[in-house]
Amino acid sequence: MGNTYIPFKALFKRLNVDFVLPPVNNQRTLSLGVRYSPVGLCIPFKLTLGNLIEAAEMGADTLLMAGGYGICRLGNYAQTQEQILHDLGYKVEVVQVNVSEQKLSGLLKMIKRLSNNASWARIISAFRIGLTKLNALDRIERAVQKIRAVELVKGTANKLYAKAVKAIDEADDYSTLKKVQRDYINQLNQVPKNPQAQPLIVGITGEFYVLLEPFSNLDVESELGKLGVEVRRRLFVSEWTKFSLFLNSLGISETARIHKAALPYLKRDVGGDGWESVGEKVLHAKEYDGFIHLAPFTCMPEIVAQNIMSSTKENIPVLTILCDEQVTKTGMLTRLEAFVDLLERKRRAGNNNRH
Amino acid sequence: MIRIGIPRALLYYQYYPMWQVFFEELGAEVVVSPPTTQAILSEGSSRVVAETCLPAKVFLGHVLSLVDKCDYIFIPAIRSVKSRAYNCSKLLGLPDMTRAVIPESPPILDIDIDVNKGKHVLYRAIYKLGRRFTWNPFKVRRASIAAGQAHLDYRRLMCSHGLTPPQAIERISGRPEVKPGTHSDCPMPTRATIAIIGHPYLIYDEHINYRLIYRLKQAQNRVLTPEMLTAEEVESATAKLLGRAYWTYEEEVVGAGEHYLENGADGVIGIMTFGCGPDSLMMDIVQRRARTMSTPFMGLTLDEHTAEAGIVTRLEAFLDMIYRKKKRRVAVCV
Repeated sequence: MGNTYIPFKALFKRLNVDFVLPPVNNQRTLSLGVRYSPVGLCIPFKLTLGNLIEAAEMGADTLLMAGGYGICRLGNYAQTQEQILHDLGYKVEVVQVNVSEQKLSGLLKMIKRLSNNASWARIISAFRIGLTKLNALDRIERAVQKIRAVELVKGTANKLYAKAVKAIDEADDYSTLKKVQRDYINQLNQVPKNPQAQPLIVGITGEFYVLLEPFSNLDVESELGKLGVEVRRRLFVSEWTKFSLFLNSLGISETARIHKAALPYLKRDVGGDGWESVGEKVLHAKEYDGFIHLAPFTCMPEIVAQNIMSSTKENIPVLTILCDEQVTKTGMLTRLEAFVDLLERKRRAGNNNRH
Repeated sequence: MIRIGIPRALLYYQYYPMWQVFFEELGAEVVVSPPTTQAILSEGSSRVVAETCLPAKVFLGHVLSLVDKCDYIFIPAIRSVKSRAYNCSKLLGLPDMTRAVIPESPPILDIDIDVNKGKHVLYRAIYKLGRRFTWNPFKVRRASIAAGQAHLDYRRLMCSHGLTPPQAIERISGRPEVKPGTHSDCPMPTRATIAIIGHPYLIYDEHINYRLIYRLKQAQNRVLTPEMLTAEEVESATAKLLGRAYWTYEEEVVGAGEHYLENGADGVIGIMTFGCGPDSLMMDIVQRRARTMSTPFMGLTLDEHTAEAGIVTRLEAFLDMIYRKKKRRVAVCV
């Protein structure tokens, strides 16, 4: 998912775990996933199944898949996918990376098991480099989101971003990582910008996977950047890790504020990211020009969120984009252009009223 | 007297007698919406985004039909009724979703039910609900004990007397609920035994499933449904197929499916609706199991575009296949 493979790769390399990295999501991954999935399932299931099949083809015998109790259907995915892989004749074990309970200890224990009982010191040090890479990646991505909207030559930031990702992947110690991070952020800041640009600000919210995996959302953030829109996103894997692995256990929660904002409309957790989607809309209705709500087709929590979002008192345009294997780039672009036009007109009308 | 509206949809089929007793013990009057009609379905669908599942649309239609007939509408948010089981988001968010899309609805009485949080939280939730009617905690306690008993009686009526939920509700409340003849057993010789698995709100809502049970019985088949099994039978079958159950209301699919497959149903029909999250995974498991046992399985996926003719054609083809299979087996034996 997104660039999360990089920290994991660093982690396993340090621990001398023999691993295979399936290709990044591509059309074949999707086709494989779609062919072997039950029809009614969402695109995260189909893509991850595709990844697992491709990894199994490359000879992996242990596959990692996120899961856990009480999230949404996701908690059931690892089990179902293992069944499907067995039916296809692959002798593999799917290990569930528990992302909802006993997070840090569970994750560390799992790593210990996979690394043939490496010493805790080595595991912690490997874990730390993984985390550092994750943080570096996300800092650069945040900078890219800002530059995309205002750069003079469209695509410059994306090119730099791709280079940075590669450099981070290759870096092997903390000082190189630090240097890479600083260099690329400097380079990004020096990208020639349009001085008159006053980019629209669009919040982007919705379901974790489609939000963070550009292949599944047809790279909606870059497309918005091309249209001169600055994207704000709360969810980053590094943030999520920081809170859910460390700070939540100390009672610090990034989502408490968001949940509080959602309370008048949605009183309880409906699984997945539904509660947060509603909360973010309410919370940022005054700051942002619009919201893009991304959800996989048939996603249960986001359907509830979508139904509730349209009725909140805090009013702000929301475009819901449902992602599945049928979505096409042209179709999405048309909708994005229309949405951005609408936001621009709204902003102009607002400015005129003020004069 | 306070009138409490209960929509005849979703969990109504599982819990209605319990809810009825609880509210009546507390001195309220219970109003139930009429059986589903096309108008109810269309009204409900018009309020939500297209992707919402059929049962939720039906539910909202029922709420709309209750709008000016009661003072409160009762919609529980059930997260789990068993330890470490989890529920579908749409059932969890039902009260909030209803409030959002039906602003004109009377105040909604909601209650959070999650046994994972411990007995205490559950008792407090029940007490909080009862407080709307009385200040007296003992009265609430008495009402909930009576309600629990009513639920057990209801379950027993279905298991041991082989009644369907609508029939059992009819017998308990003494109100004519079902059109005569619709569910009556047919005395003719049975041609095949067909198990229907799925949620009660699909199996017993004759409007959305186009009288599936009636059609099967008309064609002289014996029909088995999940409610005819005891809780133990369903649980052990679920454990066998899945290990630990992840979902709150999927035992009626997985457990019943596994039980009937093992105990010689000639064919299994799985009813689910388009976009149902838990069913999309669980039906698939049952279907895989049926395939390995080479028992005919038909998955019927319903939505508001499902047409009667389509269902009838598929049903006829499925039954023909089963009859032929049975005949062949007899021929081989001879």
